[in-house]
Amino acid sequence: MQFNIDLDRLQKSYRIIQAEIHPDKFVSASQIEKNQSLIKSTEVNDAYQTLKNPIKRARYLIKINLNSEENNLPLPPSFLMQQMEWEEHLESISEQKSELEKFRLLINGEYQKNLSNLESVCDVDKNWDGAMRILNEIQFIDKLNYKIIQQINLIETK
Amino acid sequence: MALLQISEPGKSTMPHEHRLAVGIDLGTTNSLIASVVSGAVSILEQKNKERLLPSVVHYSSSNPIVGSEAKNMQIKDPKNTISSVKRLIGKNLSDIDTKFYSLDLKDDDGVIGIQTNQGIKNPVEVSSDILKKLKETAEESLGNELYGAVITVPAYFDDAQRQATKDSAKLAGINVLRLINEPTAAAVAYGLDQNKEGNFVIFDLGGGTFDVSILNLSKGIFEVQATHGDANLGGDDYDQVIFEWICKGNKINVTNSKIKQKLFTLSREIKEALTNKDSIKIHETINEKIDIQCELSQQEFEEITKELTKKTISSTLQAMRDAELSVSQIQGVVMVGGSTRMPCIQNAVKEFFKQPLLNNLNPDEVVALGAAQQANILAGNTNDNLLLLDVIPLSLGIETMGDIVERIIPRNSTLPVSMGQEFTTYKDGQTAMIIHVVQGERDLVRDCRSLAKFTLKGIPPLVAGAAKILVTFQVDADGLLSVSAKEQSTGTQSKIEVKPSYGLSDDKIKKMLEDSFNLANEDKESRALSEIKIEGSQLLEMIENAIKADSDLLKEKELNLLQETLDKLKKSLESSDRNNIEELTKKLNDDSQSFAAKRMDRSIQKALTGKSLNSLEF
Repeated sequence: MQFNIDLDRLQKSYRIIQAEIHPDKFVSASQIEKNQSLIKSTEVNDAYQTLKNPIKRARYLIKINLNSEENNLPLPPSFLMQQMEWEEHLESISEQKSELEKFRLLINGEYQKNLSNLESVCDVDKNWDGAMRILNEIQFIDKLNYKIIQQINLIETK
Repeated sequence: MALLQISEPGKSTMPHEHRLAVGIDLGTTNSLIASVVSGAVSILEQKNKERLLPSVVHYSSSNPIVGSEAKNMQIKDPKNTISSVKRLIGKNLSDIDTKFYSLDLKDDDGVIGIQTNQGIKNPVEVSSDILKKLKETAEESLGNELYGAVITVPAYFDDAQRQATKDSAKLAGINVLRLINEPTAAAVAYGLDQNKEGNFVIFDLGGGTFDVSILNLSKGIFEVQATHGDANLGGDDYDQVIFEWICKGNKINVTNSKIKQKLFTLSREIKEALTNKDSIKIHETINEKIDIQCELSQQEFEEITKELTKKTISSTLQAMRDAELSVSQIQGVVMVGGSTRMPCIQNAVKEFFKQPLLNNLNPDEVVALGAAQQANILAGNTNDNLLLLDVIPLSLGIETMGDIVERIIPRNSTLPVSMGQEFTTYKDGQTAMIIHVVQGERDLVRDCRSLAKFTLKGIPPLVAGAAKILVTFQVDADGLLSVSAKEQSTGTQSKIEVKPSYGLSDDKIKKMLEDSFNLANEDKESRALSEIKIEGSQLLEMIENAIKADSDLLKEKELNLLQETLDKLKKSLESSDRNNIEELTKKLNDDSQSFAAKRMDRSIQKALTGKSLNSLEF
C-alpha cells in the first residue's frame, strides 16, 4: 500500500460496500444479521476515515511497516522552538478574527508542505523513521489548526 | 383481518404484503405523519381533515386530548395543556428556564415532571400521547396495522434527547425502523423529487429547533458532510422577542399565566402576519387594565430579532467550515421548517449563499415526506436504492482528572461509529472505576452535556496502572450510544452499570410499558412465550437458508455443531418450555456469529467484484 492513493476510487468503493452492508439494509432482518451489519459497517467507516485522512493514513502505514505503535522519536529542537512561537502567537491574537484567519492560512501552508514531504518519504524513500518524524510535526500542526478554528468559532458565537 | 401469509419451504425471502410504514415528523409546534401509498408519498390527514396535528396535549380527563382540540384549551386551561414538549424531552429541570412556561414543572427523579389534573406527566409520556394519536390516524386512514415508523429528530439532538424520543415511540407501541435527522429527511424528499446531484445545504428552522446540514448527493447516496445547529432556537424565540417588545412598549409586567399565554398567541400572530406585510398595526384589549396599541414594521422586527438570525448564520458558517466547502461549491440551499417563511431569514440566507433558495416543497411537510420515503425503503416495500450516511452532531468524550474532557468520538463522524479507549487504575487493588460520558465541543466537563455515568466493576485487583481496561463506545445508525468494557490483561468482561444523567432508566421505561398494557400475569407469560418462539423460528429459518447458500464457508466441524443446535432448537420450538427455547436460541445466535460475519464479507467481495472498480457507476 502507498501513501498516495486515489481518493475518488476510495470513495466509490466505500459507497459500494456501505450500500451492501449498512444497518439500513437489515432493518427487518434477524438480530444476528443486524449485529453483524452494525459491526462491519462500523469497521468500514473506520477504514474509510483512516484511509481518507492523510494523517491517519500515514499513522496506519507506519504502524504496519514498523510493526509497532511505539513512538519515542523526539521532536527536533528547532521544531520545538517553532512550536512555542506559534503557541505564543495564537495567544496574542486570540481575540482578533482577521489575524486568526491569516494565521490559519499560514498554518495550512505548513501543513501542505509537510504532507508532500510525507508522500516522498513514504512512497519513494520508504523511510519509516523519517515518516514518523514528519508525522509528529504534522500532528502538532493539525492540532494547532483545530485550535485556531475553535477560537474563530468562539468569537463568532459570542 | 388480512390472511396470514406463509412462505414456500426453502425460499430465502419471505413474501410479504405491503407493510404499512410511515414517516413521522414529531415537531415542537406541529406533528405530521406521511406514507407512501401506491407509489406516491403523501401526508395523512387527521380525522378533521387537517394535515398538521398541533403538538399539544390536554390532560383533564382520563383520556388525553391531542391536537387542535387541546390547542383550543391552551388559554382557558394552561396548567393542564402541554405544548412545545419537544423543548423538554431528554432534559432535566436545571436545563430550562421555567419562567417561559405556564406549566407547573418539577423535578421527577431526574426527569422533568409536569403536574396536571391527571397526575405528573413526563415529556416522554406526553410525546407518546402525540405519537399514539398519529398512529391511530395512520391505521384508520390506511385500514391496516402499522408495521413501523421512521421518526425524525433535529440533527442537533444529543444522545439523551434521541433516546427519550425512541422511548416515547416504544411507549406508544410503535416499532421504530430508524430515527433520522430532520434535515436529512428533507434532503431525501428534495433529492428524490428532483434527482439532484452535488453539495446541498439544508437550512431547517422549526418552532423550537434549528439545524443546518451539508450533504453530498450522488446516485442515491446521501452522505452528510457536516451538521450544526442549536437545539433551543426556533420560531418560538422570535415570538418571545415580540412578546418582550410588546411588554416593554406598553409598560406591562405579566405574571398571570393566562394573560401570558394570550400575549404569546398574539405575538405569534403578529410574526405570521409580517410574512407578507411590510407593517402591522396592533390594537388588542387583553382585559380592563391592559389595552395594547402599537405598530411593528418588517424592518423593526428584523432589527429586534437580529441576534437570533445571526446565530443561525454563524452555525451555518461553522458547518461549512467543518465540511471544508466554500459557498461557490454549494449547488442548492433547501429551506425547511415553517419559520423559514420569515423574510428576515430568507434574506439572511440568500445573502450568505449568494444564490436563490429552494423552497418549492412545503417547508412544513418536507421532513415528514422524506421520512415516509425512507420508511417505505426500510420496510422493504420498494427496490429503490437509497442510502443515508449520517453523522454524529456532537463530540462524545469522557471526564478525565481535573474536569477536562477527553474526546473519544469527534463530531461529524459517519454513523455507525465506534472507538475504544484504554484506561488503567489509580490505586493498588482497585476493582471498580467510574466513567463519566459527556457530549459537546467544550474542553471543560461542566460546559458539556452530561450523558451518563458508568461504573465498571469486576476489575481484577492488581497494582496501580497494571490493569488495562478497554472501554468501547458504539454509536449506532440511530445515533444512540452504548458502552462496553473489557479488562485486557486477564480478558475479564467488566460489568457495567449505567446510570443515565438524564432521561429515564431502562427499568422505568419497562414499568411504564407494562402499566400501559395492563396485562394480567398469565397474559404476560403467554405473550413472552410467543415472542421467544417467533424469535427462535426466525433465527432458525435464517440459519438454515444461510447454510444452503454458503455452507462452503464452514468447516465440517463447525457445520456439524451448528446443525446439532439447529435440530435441538427445532425440537424445542414444538414445546412450551420457554427457558429451553430461549437458551437454545441464544446458543444458536452465539454459535453462528462468525458464520454470519464470513457471509457479510462474502457479500462485500461480491459487490466489489460485481462492479469493476475502474468503471464504478456511483
